Amino acid sequence: MSKIVILGAGISGHVAASHLRRKLSKEHEVVVVSPNSNYQWIPSNIWVGIGRMKSEKILFPLEPLYKKKGIGYKQAKAISFFPEGDKNEEKPYVLAEYVVGDKKSQQEKVTYDYLINATGPKLNFEATNGLIPGENKTYSVCTYTHADHAWEGLNSLIQEMKQGKKVKILIGTGHAKATCQGAAFEYILNVEQELRKHKVRDMAEVTWISNEYQLGDFGMDGMLLSYGSMTMKSHEMVEMIFEDRDIKWILGAGVNKIENGLAHYENLEGEQKAETYDFAMLIPTFSGHDFKAYDKNENDITKKLFKGFMIVDADYTPKPYEEWSVRDWPETYQNPSYKNIFAPGIAFAPPHAISKPRKSKNGTDISPAPPRTGMPSGITAKLVADNIIDSIKIGKESLHHKGSLGNMGAACIASAGYGITKGSGVSITTYPIVPDYEKYPKTQGRQLGKTFGDIGLAGHWLKLALHYAFIYKAKMRPFWWLIPE
Amino acid sequence: MTQRISKYQRFKMMNPIIQFFKFIYLSIKIMIVVAGGHGGTKKVN
Repeated sequence: MSKIVILGAGISGHVAASHLRRKLSKEHEVVVVSPNSNYQWIPSNIWVGIGRMKSEKILFPLEPLYKKKGIGYKQAKAISFFPEGDKNEEKPYVLAEYVVGDKKSQQEKVTYDYLINATGPKLNFEATNGLIPGENKTYSVCTYTHADHAWEGLNSLIQEMKQGKKVKILIGTGHAKATCQGAAFEYILNVEQELRKHKVRDMAEVTWISNEYQLGDFGMDGMLLSYGSMTMKSHEMVEMIFEDRDIKWILGAGVNKIENGLAHYENLEGEQKAETYDFAMLIPTFSGHDFKAYDKNENDITKKLFKGFMIVDADYTPKPYEEWSVRDWPETYQNPSYKNIFAPGIAFAPPHAISKPRKSKNGTDISPAPPRTGMPSGITAKLVADNIIDSIKIGKESLHHKGSLGNMGAACIASAGYGITKGSGVSITTYPIVPDYEKYPKTQGRQLGKTFGDIGLAGHWLKLALHYAFIYKAKMRPFWWLIPE
Repeated sequence: MTQRISKYQRFKMMNPIIQFFKFIYLSIKIMIVVAGGHGGTKKVN
């Protein structure tokens, strides 16, 4: 009998738990440890943030589902890792602290045979002075509670605009090393459409602010894509959309301080500038959770497990951008020191960025960190689960399932406005996610045809269809496993 | 110079009938890209 412990119940943790439970017999134990009581379908937070979807529509409670499916569940947060056990506990374990109920604040040693760290990122708002969701007129859509607040803020601003107030709206990244530009891109287009719907568009100046060097970089070094019968660069496509929507843009901006209605930033020229606003949605930088790890004698071995995020089978040798390779990226998400620990999704430490790193004239790093969205999170979680299942079934380590971001496609269906007949979406697929300049040297590291973009109403329908399909899948309804990650 | 979205392009982007077929086309195309498999990069097969 094996016990598999999964830390986190986001896309990655939930996918891993679902597949493990479906494919392993009941003699094996699957336990999820997460401080969150609900599963949330994060991509739809955008619609919560414009008041077009209630947050209840994008979440459901985890405990009843896990109870029904035979998955153990502890509403607790991981604190530290003991991959060799300790003097009193032979088995490896994670020290977890309960966050609710009678056991609140109690700590428990959660032992395991296999550990999947799917804790995702810490939303590091503290890294930007004054960037606090709901304060200083700044908001976030990173969680459903943040998105609810964002809609409250936006709605009250729309009411003021209806009374004749002219406003400035600023949306983008809130840190020089932030990622997830895609979410901010979706939000700015949705906000712009909502302003038109409320007939107050002419009362607002809408501005995109980002640490990208060019529009459409998205932390992926941009892309060359097929667009209809044309081949165009992603920055040309996004420029076309922003021009069409009358959205201004500020690029190469490392936001470093927020005051009430004032965003301070440094640009790549090294100039210190500031932008005023009445409503801002700025994505924070992501970081690891500052976990600690100890060996059997309780010596600190954090550096064997973590490099901010968890160390996996990537090549972390520092090298210049010109020498980066898809082979640097991990394939199995296994920790090299402790072979029964895996970190899929966002929990693994990337070997380096994907976008070309850039510094301001003052030496400040201003460029996007690598994005890791829902789809690769799901795929990497499933392959980790499949490797553990194989290892348990054959009784020895099996790493047959592999999935490097350098050999994996991804779809980004970015909402550009909500509405069954008036909505719009920007559908982008990219293959591979990490550009392979050796294989595709003439097309910016990606395969044309499989890397394409499309704009239109169908994109909105697609995003809506994915919303319902993935919530169906997450609820583990009949034949849920037929829906791919 | 930045491309502009023409009136005809906008008509195509927002026409429900055209977009219905586009929806089917995109669904299949996306499925091919994302469910078309994945693998490692470290060993040349």
